[in-house]
Amino acid sequence: MIGWLRHQKHALTAALRRLGAQPVASLLTALAMGVAISLPGGLFLALGNLDRLAGDLPAQPEISVFLDAGASAAQKQAIAERLRQTDIAETRYVPKDEALATLGSAQDLADITAGLTQNPLPDAWVVRPQTMSREELVRVAGALGKLPGVAETHLDSQWADRLQAALAIGRTGVWLLAGLFAIALVAISGNAIRAQVLVRRDEILVSRLIGATDRYIRRPFLYVGALQGLLGGLAAGGVLAIAGVILRAPVEQLAGLYGSAFHLLPPATIEIVTVLGLTALFGWLGAWLSVMRALRQVEATR
Amino acid sequence: MISFSQVTKRYPGGHEALSGVDLSIEKGELVFLTGHSGAGKSTLLKLVAAIERPTSGVVSVSGQNVGRLPQRAIPYLRRNIGLIFQDHKLLFDRNVIENVVLPLDIAGLDRRESLKRARAVIDKVGLLKREKANPISLSGGEQQRLCIARALVSRPALLLADEPTGNLDAGYAADIMAMFRDFHQVGTTLVIATHDDRAIAALGGRTLHLDHGKVQEGSA
Repeated sequence: MIGWLRHQKHALTAALRRLGAQPVASLLTALAMGVAISLPGGLFLALGNLDRLAGDLPAQPEISVFLDAGASAAQKQAIAERLRQTDIAETRYVPKDEALATLGSAQDLADITAGLTQNPLPDAWVVRPQTMSREELVRVAGALGKLPGVAETHLDSQWADRLQAALAIGRTGVWLLAGLFAIALVAISGNAIRAQVLVRRDEILVSRLIGATDRYIRRPFLYVGALQGLLGGLAAGGVLAIAGVILRAPVEQLAGLYGSAFHLLPPATIEIVTVLGLTALFGWLGAWLSVMRALRQVEATR
Repeated sequence: MISFSQVTKRYPGGHEALSGVDLSIEKGELVFLTGHSGAGKSTLLKLVAAIERPTSGVVSVSGQNVGRLPQRAIPYLRRNIGLIFQDHKLLFDRNVIENVVLPLDIAGLDRRESLKRARAVIDKVGLLKREKANPISLSGGEQQRLCIARALVSRPALLLADEPTGNLDAGYAADIMAMFRDFHQVGTTLVIATHDDRAIAALGGRTLHLDHGKVQEGSA
């Protein structure tokens, strides 16, 4: 166990020395990885921010139930009765006069509503069902729409659903991209490590002759791969941070035009740690694949 | 310690380096392998260290059948054998002491203890003043002594040397042979391939003469 730890420590310092010995090459590899990772990473952040934007808006799923202008008192009574059933959580009655007043004051349409000779708006119920699932909303809206005296029902959450569906596609896209760029990461790392193995041919052959196991020879290369991946992840963080600084002002200006205080949020710590862990893992994986192959080559050309 | 039984080594291409060799070397012996180049001296040493595998026959070292050792066991065999090469096989990307400490790093010893042992061995071969030097700046004789230090640092029971004085002038060669005599006196088994007759005469010991892949007992 102590021997094992000693080997790990030895391999890690050897790996750090190897990276430090070729600072330009290490930096360029890290940068190539960084750019590759920043694409899915950036998209992920953009989607996270859009998602938050969607969440900020009043996307409370509500059903508006508009009554027929000619609905009888008995029909209205029956509708009110139906809305007291257990599948309805909350109801609010909006008489047409109140609706008109709200419209006039809220949206600077006072001059238009003032010009109306009679109120064109219907009486309405705003209903929130017990269960918020999409299916339930549709079912309740359908059931209420069939009641006599109801002119129309309207699901206010429709636009939010569409946005969510679009975001879901985006999220799938992020995973696809992330998968592709993970492969790119493995390839970049593998290529860098292959070059290193060939440069260290003599060391490998001599080490073998004096009793080095394959594992001993492999270990520093694997550490180099993992560290290189980690550096790539940090480079991606740098790229995204710069992009964030550049984008912040225009985004806040745009949000300001919509009267929103929306601003870009950086990723959470856990997300950063996860991404760095994954880049290190894929760097390691690339190194592993490459070292296994390259060592066999070195052996063959002995 | 070492025994060969009907060992034949044929290289791809048909060249037969050893044919039907039988020999036995006891623990603590000093043995010279002689013969002109291409007679199979290097091949014999390589078979002992499992660098090559015999085409047929049994090579055994300390009771282990080396020719049939699984690949993953070979490193542990080699840790008990000190190898000294004619071309030294030093690493020029690190200094003298780092070259010597390499076998101990590989064996996973404590770093501080390793450096202490490496320094002691470097002192023994007379290179202590050059411990921070790059091996490329050393003379041929110094490089050979460095190679010997690296072979000794893990205190192997068996030393194999392939033409250790091949490229050296007489003075250096005598130095190195004197060193080998010291190791022999402390009980190390030594097998030295050489055609340096003066050295053989100076040290005495058993001689095995190789000719066209066959071994003959000789005398110094």
